Amino acid sequence: MVTAVTKEQNAEAAKAVVENLSSRFSDAGVVAEVIAHTSGKAYDFVRITCSPDQWRGVAKHLKNEVGVNYCAMVTGTHFPEGGADRGWEVAYHMYRWPIANVAAHTMTVLEGDKLKGDEIPVEFEIFIPLPAGDTPSVPSIQDIWEGADWNEKETWDLVGIDFEGHVNMHRVLNPHDSPVAFHPLQRQHKIRYHDFNEMYDDPQGFGRKPVDEGRVK
Amino acid sequence: MAEMWITMGPQHPMTHGLWTLRVKVDGETVTDTEAELGYIHRGVEKICEARDFTQITPYCDRLCYVSAMTWAHSYVMAAEDLLEAEVPERAEYIRLMAAEVQRLASHLMWLGAFGPDIGNLTLMTWCLRDREMFLDLLQELGGSRMHYNYPRIGGVKRDIPIGWGNRLKAKVKLFEHRINEYEMLLDESTIWLVRLQGVGYATAEDQLNAGVTGPNIRAAGVNTDTRWTNPYSVYDQVDWEPAVEKPTSVKGADCYDRYRVRMEEMRQSCRMLLDAIDKIPGGANTHYQPGDEMILTKAPTRAPEGATGFSTYECTRGVSNFYIQGGGDGRGKNPYRLSIRSPMFITIPYVAKTMIGYKIADIPAIMGSFDPCIGETDR
Amino acid sequence: MSDTGENYTTFNSRALVEVVGDVTDEALKATKIKQLLSVLAGRFFNWAGRKSLFTLHLGIKCCAIEMAAAATPRFDGDRFGVLFRSSPRQSDVLLVNGPISKKFADPIVRLWEQMPEPKYCIAMGECAISGGPYYQSYNILEGVDTLIPVDVYIPGCPPRPETLIDGFGKLREKIIRIGGAPSTGRDGEKPIIVGDD
Repeated sequence: MVTAVTKEQNAEAAKAVVENLSSRFSDAGVVAEVIAHTSGKAYDFVRITCSPDQWRGVAKHLKNEVGVNYCAMVTGTHFPEGGADRGWEVAYHMYRWPIANVAAHTMTVLEGDKLKGDEIPVEFEIFIPLPAGDTPSVPSIQDIWEGADWNEKETWDLVGIDFEGHVNMHRVLNPHDSPVAFHPLQRQHKIRYHDFNEMYDDPQGFGRKPVDEGRVK
Repeated sequence: MAEMWITMGPQHPMTHGLWTLRVKVDGETVTDTEAELGYIHRGVEKICEARDFTQITPYCDRLCYVSAMTWAHSYVMAAEDLLEAEVPERAEYIRLMAAEVQRLASHLMWLGAFGPDIGNLTLMTWCLRDREMFLDLLQELGGSRMHYNYPRIGGVKRDIPIGWGNRLKAKVKLFEHRINEYEMLLDESTIWLVRLQGVGYATAEDQLNAGVTGPNIRAAGVNTDTRWTNPYSVYDQVDWEPAVEKPTSVKGADCYDRYRVRMEEMRQSCRMLLDAIDKIPGGANTHYQPGDEMILTKAPTRAPEGATGFSTYECTRGVSNFYIQGGGDGRGKNPYRLSIRSPMFITIPYVAKTMIGYKIADIPAIMGSFDPCIGETDR
Repeated sequence: MSDTGENYTTFNSRALVEVVGDVTDEALKATKIKQLLSVLAGRFFNWAGRKSLFTLHLGIKCCAIEMAAAATPRFDGDRFGVLFRSSPRQSDVLLVNGPISKKFADPIVRLWEQMPEPKYCIAMGECAISGGPYYQSYNILEGVDTLIPVDVYIPGCPPRPETLIDGFGKLREKIIRIGGAPSTGRDGEKPIIVGDD
């Protein structure tokens, strides 16, 4: 029977990470906090909010001092109504997992409750709000974690956020001959037949009034 | 010697989906590769911004179609995190059993596609025949052989039918003998061993840095598995071990190790299923009506702006994440942004790099051993 | 070799074959043997073709798994002669089993053009018929029949393997009717939708 990481271990590890980050970065304006998931086992994770200029410093610290070894996800979002300082946002999800570089013909079986200190897995969520405008850009972390490479390509391809310093940026999901500056997940692009969804919002028409006569919705 | 680029795909006899692999060959040796994806990019993330939360579950089934139940479960976990819904314990057990049956079916589909890549066509018929046993079980739950739309936000759609538990036990016990049959066919076959051993080395640390997870890492000698590092559902209450395999060399795990780790994972899934069906609260032979509070709690349908939900899930091919931002459509009925992290999207470029230095004939072996599924790659 | 026109005194083997061929052709036409032979040959090729529909090994999306399942021992499409070939040059049927994205539109038309006549196209699953659940997507075409003339539509998401085998049966019935008509000349045919009766 495998032993899972307990809630106490997880809470203690998350707190230690937040202390580490706060002592290093809090006067630069980087916010690090422990948040709990709101369902299931309700484990804690670390949420960091920083600005694009601080991102590379924070990222290198996470990799070298905190031991984050897995960059899972890079998500870009477009907020046309977000205001002047949150027109776009990039969310990174990363993990610190205990991993061992294993010799031939051996294996390492890690047990959840025997992990201590830096080995306890922690989940990270990093938000980087970007100012509104037409050219959102974030420094690339392609050289820090290799897992960020294709994630950043996809985020640029679909959302249009530039990653400064990213080597060999190209379209990965959209066709190569898509129009330049066509990034479908931006909010001004609507899906085909987007009026249909408004139509189906109230299919039996219970909310319709005589004044709605002749309207699609 | 003149080098040339050869395009393999998008239509190719390798059975793993629609993508192009361009290889630069010097004679028979591969010197460079380039993977091209996006042939079935459907824009699911954009479409889901115009769907209710319950309407998104069928889309998640169709992401990785070989392993639909696990992807729907992963999405539903993220939606529950967003909408702050609780799940009753019986529903968690049912979800665990459905996910593990799906894991068995998915690994059988993998083996049934991997065998023909190496040249062993017998495996396709045997594995797909055995996979039908498990698809029948999932059909009783979800109504269809693939794309079940079974997990609901707050529980499951309907309870396990009466007798499902007995059928599950009988099939799992039969299948454990069948795994022995497969190993008897393959582990003593010289061709199988020669084609798989010594090919496609990858170490665990390298893979994790590149973002590769799942059985591929466990083949390299360490039992990193989300089911115990970031526990969810009732995996900490059933009897199982992550399947780990000792890598053959300091250079890492080869294709043979990745094949062996999946066989071991199938055994562990069988073990989990036999344990879970005995431990399920309420018993395996009671049937609750759909919507009963033992299997489903009513979940809110709207998420306020600023709420986020995130799930970490061990899918059959790696770790899958869903990141949902609430507050779409001004009223919170739709997600503002749904982002999907597919393990194979990162693995395929990594594998393309692993192939450099081997022969053309090793390409299906290496690619097949990492178990690609293009549906989840090109969302 | 004379390029100034016919010079029947030069016994060029190509010219000889042409002459003999023309003469034989005229003789067969005059005695109506040619008509009989083409009817018999046509019927024979039609029978052989519909009993051995070689399908292109193309797996786009989920319906490809059901296509693979239809070839496995439980459903066994092989007993109907349905075999999967890797090269379009050697296949009769293009079974489209997934949505066609803008990137794949060009390759699939190229695959269709590479297939020799007589060739048939089956649209399997909702995505191939009309775009399916992705009809609103920015990257998916609304059905493969925007590119290729489709002979049989098999609805379902995904259709069960038995439905796919039934679809091949409906295609066989259609082949009895239209035989070797080229794929561009089938506009007058009503599309066959499995389950429509």
